[in-house]
Amino acid sequence: MKPGIKGIAVNTFRESARNKMFYLLVFFGILFALSSKLVSFLTLGDAMKVLKDTGLAAINFFCVLIAVFTGINLVYKEIERKTVFNILSKPVSRDEFIVGKFLGLALTMLTALGAMAVIFFAFVALNGGGFDLGILLYFFMLYLELLVIVAVSLLFSSFTTPILAFIFTVSLYLIGHVMWTYNEFKNYLAIPLWRIFTQALYYLLPNLAKFNIKNEVVLGTALDPWSILFSVLYALAYVLALLALTVLIFRRREFQ
Amino acid sequence: MTRRRWLAVAALSGLLLAAGMQQRFDSTVDYFGERSAFVSLPSGKTLRVLSFGYRNLAADLLFIWSIQFYSAYNIRNRFDFIERVYDTITDITPEYKEPYIIGSLIMAHEANDLPMALRLLEKGSRLNPDEWIFDHDAGFYCYKYLKDYAKAEEYYNRAAAKPGAPVFIKRMKAHLVYLRDDPEMATRMWLDILHHAEDTLTRDSAFNHLYQIKAEADLPLLQQKIAEYRRQYRRPPAVLADLARAGLLREIPRDFAGDEYIYDGASGTVTAQRIFRWQKR
Repeated sequence: MKPGIKGIAVNTFRESARNKMFYLLVFFGILFALSSKLVSFLTLGDAMKVLKDTGLAAINFFCVLIAVFTGINLVYKEIERKTVFNILSKPVSRDEFIVGKFLGLALTMLTALGAMAVIFFAFVALNGGGFDLGILLYFFMLYLELLVIVAVSLLFSSFTTPILAFIFTVSLYLIGHVMWTYNEFKNYLAIPLWRIFTQALYYLLPNLAKFNIKNEVVLGTALDPWSILFSVLYALAYVLALLALTVLIFRRREFQ
Repeated sequence: MTRRRWLAVAALSGLLLAAGMQQRFDSTVDYFGERSAFVSLPSGKTLRVLSFGYRNLAADLLFIWSIQFYSAYNIRNRFDFIERVYDTITDITPEYKEPYIIGSLIMAHEANDLPMALRLLEKGSRLNPDEWIFDHDAGFYCYKYLKDYAKAEEYYNRAAAKPGAPVFIKRMKAHLVYLRDDPEMATRMWLDILHHAEDTLTRDSAFNHLYQIKAEADLPLLQQKIAEYRRQYRRPPAVLADLARAGLLREIPRDFAGDEYIYDGASGTVTAQRIFRWQKR
């Protein structure tokens, strides 16, 4: 790894780790995951299923919040504080700056998710659930989803304000989880041009439902290994494309 | 009293008053008086979209709410939309077993609507073709409450054909064949269970059933022959062997354990040595 990228990545990680918001969200993620025990008391039948559902949903939700809140400020803050001039005046290219920022945030997400995952595994084991390899796979898939979200927020952060970047990223996150409805939606489109347009959107927008295997791991239903492999490749390709686009935009930006 | 204390007292009083009002409201409210409020529960498909990847959680929360709601006995018309509620939950996560099982239990026991319970269980079976529990439960409701043994047997047949179906389903099937008055078929099925039994419970259950089926066939026959003997000789036989000696029977049947039936020569009645466990209704 180039020293420039490494330096920016390490600094981004340190900066995120110093952020009080980061700790607050991790804390609430863990708190809500543990409070799944209370929810499981209220059900009949398989309480462990409810415990896992609620816990995984809490971890998922708070990790997405961390990814969005940290990602949207990444580039904007550097520009706003004019620290970007300092960094770019050193032997660091704009491409390295973006890649470094992404890697730093990816490391931050890995730390947050890792902490929540370890606590959740211990919590499930304490409640008699044992070690579930499926949940480990779920966390891996969630991490891939978070990488895509980080890349999306980084893209928006490179050319717009944090508020707009937040709105765009959250919108894409929500759309990304209902992409499966497209096949039904297209039946309502009578004009062929609209069909082509929506078809193009379908392939352009991130299909985050690919990474959502909560239902399968909790209910213990079969997972298709090919589908997992394709999801991994999809995440890598999508992140690569978004980073390239971010670099393109960032290269053209003029700082005043 | 300082202003601060006044404010604290006011806040506390306000909260207590609000809780009292809420309690009063809950005890008198007709939840479905405003039916539109409940009909507006979105469909399972819509909730699946609106849950944005958290459909398990959405189904869990709706299911937990349903348990609390249908346990509130003060709400008189709480079952008005029960089918809609459980259809919605099972549309969100069709693989979630508990809503089918608990939902059908509430429908059958609390709402007294067995056809509705069977519809929910059939949906579960249709959407989870490898799961035996739904057919088993449907079979049990038909057997226990509808007394429709043929239908119950049909459900048990479906359940038994599914992977991982426990051995007791085979026993239930044989029992239902017995209940719908097909002793020959029931005997064949119970013999098969007895010969392949791997545990004491299965062996004992098969043995007891076979004992009862055989005794239920033998005792009326013996009683009939005793009556014929009484008509011919104007007295009951002294021992059962007299029936064979009189040419009324080629040989005296024995119970499934190989023992003789108990014969009371004074009254001319014959009984089995063991107590019958099952009753046909």
